[in-house]
Order: sequence, then structure tokens, then C-alpha cells
Amino acid sequence: MLRSFAFKLALAIATGLIGAALLHLVIVLSLPYFSERDAYTRVLAKGERHRFYPLAEKPDQAGLAKDDPFLEVAVCSFDIGSGPIRVMAPGNVPFWSLAVYDGASNEVFSINDRTSVGGMLDVVIATPVQLTLLRKSLPEPIAESILVETQAAEGYIVLRSMVPQPSFAAPARQFLAQATCAPFEWRARNQF
Amino acid sequence: MLRPDPSNRPRARFQVFRVPFLIAVALAIAFGGGIWSTLVALDATVGFGAIKLGPWEAFPDAQTSKADPYAKSHRANAGKLLYASAEGLVFTAAVDSTGARLSGDCTYRLSGHTPPARFWTLFPTRPGGAPPSITSDLPTALNSRTVLRQPDGNFTVDISASARPGNWLAVSAGQPFRLTLTLFDTPTAGSSGLVDLSMPSIVKTGCGNA
Repeated sequence: MLRSFAFKLALAIATGLIGAALLHLVIVLSLPYFSERDAYTRVLAKGERHRFYPLAEKPDQAGLAKDDPFLEVAVCSFDIGSGPIRVMAPGNVPFWSLAVYDGASNEVFSINDRTSVGGMLDVVIATPVQLTLLRKSLPEPIAESILVETQAAEGYIVLRSMVPQPSFAAPARQFLAQATCAPFEWRARNQF
Repeated sequence: MLRPDPSNRPRARFQVFRVPFLIAVALAIAFGGGIWSTLVALDATVGFGAIKLGPWEAFPDAQTSKADPYAKSHRANAGKLLYASAEGLVFTAAVDSTGARLSGDCTYRLSGHTPPARFWTLFPTRPGGAPPSITSDLPTALNSRTVLRQPDGNFTVDISASARPGNWLAVSAGQPFRLTLTLFDTPTAGSSGLVDLSMPSIVKTGCGNA
């Protein structure tokens, strides 16, 4: 009697452990799809799309903060479903880097001032279809832009600028403040 | 099934609750264990695929679509803005070169040189804590432009709760900390020959007021 109960209890514990392992896998695999705390949700919470928001040292309401005391960081969420966007920033800072992520925070594209053309930030982000149309007749303003193809229509951009010493802070902040990530006139009128 | 003694009332009552009890045990272990193990796993590590160089640890693939499910889950839960491959690579160290936990009670000397990078930053944080503020009164962060170097380009940094000559990083006494060394624009992030890279060593030079 007691022995059979002990056996059943062991069976119940074993079932529980198997259930725990299954639940562990289910949570780990599904968390990226349900998380309310992921980077994309936090960037979206900053406000409207297609503009850069600088981050502060203290976490904001969405929970985003600078990860390094020597960097100035700005984020911009984008949706290129209706048309490509162009990311530009004027100015000369000792180091900048740009990372494009899709909605699941997978890296799509990244570039820094050394790998760009002449140290200028000028990137066009488009879907494959838009890019095909663009390449057919490349509009003059973006003739020298770097064209980036992304499968995901939604995502976010992180722009970082280095502040090795306090005197670099003003140009770095100005660089980020003047950065744009906005849609542009990409189809000439005579295409229709 | 044979019942030993039908007149034994407490045992009969016990038998009524036996099956619900077993189900409750199984469910409690499944849900409790499943949730607890997930929280621990996501808290303990950024995922698999770490580069380990002495005490230093980095995850060059954590932000890519090639990241393993644990890394993807971790980054979705942590919500940090990760560094892309052209930007930089973050190395963290929670232990010294002998494998002992870094403690604010002790003094450490970080020496050597970093893998090739255009720029690097180094700062201590509390485990899970925010990076230090640049407006802090104490030297809580160093970078490759502000660090004082020896004639051969190497550098040593003393990490201590009390002031030190030369490069000094201040930590809070009595609290564990971890070091974050971020390499910017480094070929390390895309390189496969990671074994040859050399990172600075972290050696304990004394504890207490010694």
C-alpha cells in the first residue's frame, strides 16, 4: 500500500519534471514573440516613427538607456511598407556607427564611419521590391547612397557617436540631433 | 485492489485525496520548475556561443539571426540595444585571471593590451547594474584615448575602492562588480581566429587595506 503510493509519488514527480522541461522549452522558444520588454517595443514607445530620439544616461519610461558612458546614442523606428527611408546625418565626429535591426532585433545591416563612403552617413533602407524599382531609375539625390535591402518592413535603427572626452559631447549630440531617418521622394512622377 | 482494512477511516479519507494530491505535485513541479529554470537560465547567461579569453567573455553572434534560442530569448527579455558587427564587441569579466569573483574589497591590476580596435571603453558595473555616469566625481570609466600608456603601448589599470596613482578605476568597497570592455570598430567581431587574440589580464594584488 505505502510502497505503491511511494511509486506513484515518484511517478508524479517524474511527470512534473518532464512537464517542467517542456514548459522551459516552450517559454524560451516563445518568449521573443510575446515579450513586452524587447528592444523594438521599447524603441516604439519612444514616440512616432521616422525620427531619431536621443537616449539619456538614466533609463526612460520605456527602459532604454545608454549602455556606455562614452557614447551618445539615438534610436529611430521605421516602417518601410509604404516606401523606403533614407538615413542621413551631417557633420564630422571622430566615430559614428549605425545598426539596422528588424522587429525581432536581428541585425540587418551595420556600418561605421570607416566603412562608409568618405565618412558620410547616407543610407537608404528598402524592401527588395522597392530596391528593384529604385535601381531601374536611381533618383539623383540618392545616387551615392548606400542601398540596404531588408526583408522585414518594420524595425529600428541605432545611431551611436563617440564622446571620448567631454569636449566631444557637443558635436556628437549635434550630429545625432541633425540625423534624419525619414521617407523621401523615391518614385519619379513619370513612372505613372 | 485489496483494501487492508475498510474500517480504518483516516486511511480511507487519505485515499480520497491521493489522486488529486499526486496531480497537484506533478503540476506544481511542472509549472514551478519550468518557470524557475527559465528565469535562472535567462538570467545566468546571454546564451551559447561565447568567446572566452581568460576571464573575458563575449557573444559576437547574440544580435544576429544566427543566435541560439536562449540568446534570442535573453535579448527579448533584457531589451538592450546590442552592438552590431560593424560597431563593436562587448567583453565582460566577472572573475579575475585565477577564476575568483571580482570583489570591491580587493585591488586588481588589469594589464596587457587589447585586440586591435579603433577605440575601446572600460568600466566596472555592479552585477546587473547600470553603466557609470560620465559626470561622476570618481574615475569610473576609461577609454583608449584617456588611458595613460607605457612607452610600448601597453597599459595597466588599477581597480580599487581607494585611490591609486596612474590609471585608477573606482569601485564600491564591499560589493562584487564586473568589468565591461567594449571594443569599437574591431575586426574581432567578424574574425574566426579568435584564439590568437590577447586580452588584458586581471590580477588580484591585495585585499583589504593591504
